[in-house]
Amino acid sequence: MKINRRRFLKTAALTGTAAAFPYFYTQKFAKAEESDEIKVGILHSLSGTIAIIERSLHNAELMAIEEINAAGGVMGGKKLVPVVEDPQSVVRVFRQKAKKLLLQDKVVAVLGCYTSASRQSVLPEFENNNGILLYPTLYEAQECSYNCFYTGAVPNQQLDDFAPWVIDKFGPRHYLIGANYIYPKETNREWKALLDNFGGETVAEEYAPLGHTEFATNINKIASLQPDVVFSTLVGDQIVAFYKQFKQFGITAEDIPICTPITTEQEIKGMGPEYALGHYTSFNYFQSVDSPENADFVSRYKATYGEDEVTNAVMEAAYFQTYFLAQALDKTGSTDADALITEGLPGQEFQAPQGKVKIDEKNHHTYLWARIGQAREDGQFDIVWKSEDWIRPDPWVDLLYPDRDCDFTDPRVIERIKSGDRDRSGTIEI
Amino acid sequence: MGDAVLTQFFSGFSLVAILIIAALGLAVIFGVAGVINMAHGEFIMVGAYVASVVQSGLGGNTFWSIPICFVAVGLLGLVVERTVIRGLYDRPLETLLATWGVSLILIVVIKMIFGTELHYVGSPEMLQGGFPAPGNLPFPWYRLFLILLSILLLIATFVLFFRTKFGLAVRAVRRNRSMSEAMGINTARVDMLIFAYGSGLAGVAGAVLAPIKTVSPTMGFPYAVDSFMVLVLGGVGNLMGVPVGAAIIGEGETILAFLFNSVIGKLLVFLLIVLVIRIVPRGIFGYQERTLGHRR
Repeated sequence: MKINRRRFLKTAALTGTAAAFPYFYTQKFAKAEESDEIKVGILHSLSGTIAIIERSLHNAELMAIEEINAAGGVMGGKKLVPVVEDPQSVVRVFRQKAKKLLLQDKVVAVLGCYTSASRQSVLPEFENNNGILLYPTLYEAQECSYNCFYTGAVPNQQLDDFAPWVIDKFGPRHYLIGANYIYPKETNREWKALLDNFGGETVAEEYAPLGHTEFATNINKIASLQPDVVFSTLVGDQIVAFYKQFKQFGITAEDIPICTPITTEQEIKGMGPEYALGHYTSFNYFQSVDSPENADFVSRYKATYGEDEVTNAVMEAAYFQTYFLAQALDKTGSTDADALITEGLPGQEFQAPQGKVKIDEKNHHTYLWARIGQAREDGQFDIVWKSEDWIRPDPWVDLLYPDRDCDFTDPRVIERIKSGDRDRSGTIEI
Repeated sequence: MGDAVLTQFFSGFSLVAILIIAALGLAVIFGVAGVINMAHGEFIMVGAYVASVVQSGLGGNTFWSIPICFVAVGLLGLVVERTVIRGLYDRPLETLLATWGVSLILIVVIKMIFGTELHYVGSPEMLQGGFPAPGNLPFPWYRLFLILLSILLLIATFVLFFRTKFGLAVRAVRRNRSMSEAMGINTARVDMLIFAYGSGLAGVAGAVLAPIKTVSPTMGFPYAVDSFMVLVLGGVGNLMGVPVGAAIIGEGETILAFLFNSVIGKLLVFLLIVLVIRIVPRGIFGYQERTLGHRR
């Protein structure tokens, strides 16, 4: 068969229509299905550089949706239907996909994002289209949007108890090392304020460019300064390289412990447990948390995604935020965004693997538990300290921002958002 | 303070060694075949994955994975040369794009096989720990091993180039390709073998760097950048450029990082490189090589 231009165009047009048919079809019949299905967007990178961690969030959310559906769904028998998009670890694509989920799929809410950069890029879409984003990552806070619910830890939940504990146990002289971008810098700002408060001292503060994995120099400085503690906010590949080289230069956790709010079971798996042995991490959740909910969660996750998998704090948040959404839908009995934002989600409680968690009634962040874990031989953590109660999230940390707060029940904020103002943040000066 | 400086000097050596090991394969391929191999970092990455398979699958340590990675990644290089590079010699821009494509493919393939999570490669039992060195930190055995290995690889490459018949052919091809062809040297075969040898060296780099760094699909890129820096500074076309370039960058970076911090250290080294290529555009050794070539 000879292919000329006309034949090519004809075939192309035909295949094009055929390929697009399912789309037209679902568009036309979407209304009919609405009655017993509720669409939920899942927006995590399944390819690209941060897919390593984001795939686990994606998995945890799908698992939660399956469980919710198996238990009878929401709003009296309706099923949650995940609409999965892959933003490919590219910030720009995050925004495009978010827009698509909101305008084309008309999802009731989106569970998604991991990095602060991706969250900040999609937020305008959620604010302009009055959508709902549930965001599971620990982050540097100093933000609260009407259209976003934050289920990961903010600095006060990870650092406030950690700093006095570390100073008390190991001593006041801290060496700060971090990756050279916003999260480590903000975290160190808070840490230094805490050190000031509890009689600690910063002996040095250093940053390594992202992607930099040669730490001999820093380790040498650590050896000559002899701090009591190394406080690390290195991320990703850097964590593995730093812990490995730390031990290879002969410094053990007994000499100088590394304390960090970042290193999870995932990184320890990547470096080999002998390198993390004895060092400390502060988190809300560890795989080794001893609760029936966690035992269930871990065994179900392993059964679904493989025995080698480890669970981590961010995916635990991804898991329970899906339940928050389901319970909020049950409570309001509607998919109306404003109803969910003002009545459905605030105050919602759930018995999560880490313990009972709750969305704060005022600031869209989540009450979480604080724990300090010490890495052991099998790559898991021994939990050496646990908070006596859940800890209230404070997106504007009192130590650094004493006269600022986030409150969506404040009349000024309600008024501003009702008036259709472009500023949809709940931040107020007090 | 004096102790710290001494330790710093020693750890600088180990960085120099890492740079030599990472850059040597790239230098060999670029110097002889004239191909800028953008996939060099990914060849190192594949080497690291082969090492992780050797460790977890076959139970062998780094000493085992060095020859295995050399052969495995060398063969990979051979295949790439035969299928992709072969038709593109003397078209530098196209080889640049083609090898970049190869690098993307390698990343995706590795992700499909091994997933995206970090992989663990340990160092051999007998190289764990360190020995008391002058300065304030024990010096890790493994870093001493890297220094020795870098010297060994340099010697091996020099011997191959200057003491074997194949090396004679390689040098002839590098000086004057068409004349070599006229003399009966099979230049296509020289290109192919050199590409395989250079790739094999990248594989060795992956095998020995895995225990001190991270094994992930995207680990190759920083090594590729560092290797290019070494080449640009040291000059291409002369093997001596590799150790000299590596020494300046490695020691420079560690000393500056100690005096200031890592961010400023890197910045100043980049600045130094810009300055050097402003004065001697072909790199420290590339320039001399060129003038000698003209005089003869």
